Amino acid sequence: MEARNVLMLAGKEAMESVKNRWFVLYTVSFSALAVLILSIAPEKGAISGGAGYGRTAASLVNLVLLFVPLISLITGAAGIAGERENGTLQYLLSHPVTKAEVFAGKFIGIFIPICLSISLGFGLAGVGVALRGGSGDGAGFLLTALFSALLAASLLSVGLLVSVYSRKAARATGIAVFLWLLFIILGDLGIMGTAAAMELGIRQVFVLALLNPAEVFKIASVLVLSPRYEILGPVGVYAVRTFGREGIVLLLISIMALWTLAPFALALASFSKFRREES
Amino acid sequence: MIDIKNVTKKFGKLRAVDSVSLAAGEGEALALLGTNGAGKSTLIKCILGLLDFAGEITINRISVKADPRAAKSLIGYLPQEPVFYDMRASDIMRFFGRIRRAGPDECAAALEKAGLTEHSHKYASELSGGMRQRLSFAVALLSSPKFLILDEPTSNLDAGGRAEFLCRIKEYKEAGNTVIFSSHRLDEVDYLADRAVVMRNGSIVFDGEPGNLGRASGLGTRIVLRIAREDVSRAEEALARAGIIAHSRNGGGLVVEAPVGDAVRPIIELTARDIPVLGFTVEGPTMESILEGAGESILEGAGRDGS
Repeated sequence: MEARNVLMLAGKEAMESVKNRWFVLYTVSFSALAVLILSIAPEKGAISGGAGYGRTAASLVNLVLLFVPLISLITGAAGIAGERENGTLQYLLSHPVTKAEVFAGKFIGIFIPICLSISLGFGLAGVGVALRGGSGDGAGFLLTALFSALLAASLLSVGLLVSVYSRKAARATGIAVFLWLLFIILGDLGIMGTAAAMELGIRQVFVLALLNPAEVFKIASVLVLSPRYEILGPVGVYAVRTFGREGIVLLLISIMALWTLAPFALALASFSKFRREES
Repeated sequence: MIDIKNVTKKFGKLRAVDSVSLAAGEGEALALLGTNGAGKSTLIKCILGLLDFAGEITINRISVKADPRAAKSLIGYLPQEPVFYDMRASDIMRFFGRIRRAGPDECAAALEKAGLTEHSHKYASELSGGMRQRLSFAVALLSSPKFLILDEPTSNLDAGGRAEFLCRIKEYKEAGNTVIFSSHRLDEVDYLADRAVVMRNGSIVFDGEPGNLGRASGLGTRIVLRIAREDVSRAEEALARAGIIAHSRNGGGLVVEAPVGDAVRPIIELTARDIPVLGFTVEGPTMESILEGAGESILEGAGRDGS
């Protein structure tokens, strides 16, 4: 794999993402809502002693959970399938580039604009907090932004995996939306329902939560933003007591990295192996 | 040299390309012919490494399977219907120029040679079919590849555009480069190809000079003779006695299968018997008639050398 080709393809992909109207809509919405959250938060000392970084980041977590998985899954899912469908993938691959370069370029080229969107949302909120004389946990704020990027990377990998196996972009997008519903909307309900129906213990429920990257992001963010891990419930208490506060955060980061690397590797291997789809 | 050895490509149970062996040497133009589904495009995709296959394909001794990047860097490819990213023409040239290690000056020169400089600011979607074809040709020639592979390159061009395009391909070939192209047009094959390869059901059924294609198919030149209505039956009898098959056409003419190597003999025979020939036209075999029509069995029997 030549880094030069990967970067060139990533640049092309990033330019296309930035020009994509859905992506622009997503960025504007995410940033506007981030600012809105800040503007409706109480002024310093009004209620509980300050609209600090930690409090703002905690509000942004829900926004991230709604927006970041959706855009990551959908853009990832359309990435390969869309190009395959319109013929540009075949034309590109007739030139001296490898499939690995195309795939890596696509991942980087989609991931960077999503990170820029996240940075814009968090950045505007952060500046707002600073202008209002905000206080609190700046490190937690930055870590939450970092976890958001990790969440984007993991679901982008999942989206690309869907894309590799889909012949049509519309089908890939449909599957991506279904996965978004599964991870975000049905995630909590699914864990609670499964736990109740199968009478799972705390440990099993914790393991079940780790199977959902959105849950992993949520737990990690709460742990770095709030000193009271008890708000995560019995599962959170179990996790912190078992692994320690730093230990569980590291474990959660590792799991998000695994959620990125495993689908990425599988998608890359499948993309490189199956040649019939380029016909 | 492009060397294709015993290449087979299967889609499920279908053998789209079946044990094909073929070589195209330096400065040679090879036409790949066949009906839709014959295996031409699949073979082209195998050469480009876009499809996995059994067998071996080498480009100047570089294996397409072992080192696809190096092999593809020697090839310029023009698809049947060029599809581009939605970029400006100049950006498309720069993008593929970077992939093919061609500098900005070469990209600008290629765009100018394609007659697209004044359209360089336009997005690909704003270009006409002919312009997109020219842009694709300009991209294919970036970094001066030794081999050009064209998949029905003129199918979207008008008559003027086609003539100009064929002229450019001929120039490229005459500079010592190798061209493999698929086509449905006999006139293109006659103009451009040194060799014609006919594929049917994934196999090669003819490999020889384009001039031999019609003869091998059993579809020689036909001459339509214009003869006075009252002389038609007499002329038919005279030609039959000379062993020349003739059929009357609308009562006022005769369609004659011209004997190979002696095409004017029907006219000589009639003139010798004082049957005036008022005029004549010559009809060569069409690509459709060669590939799909009566010549099928003869073509298959003709073997690989076209004899």
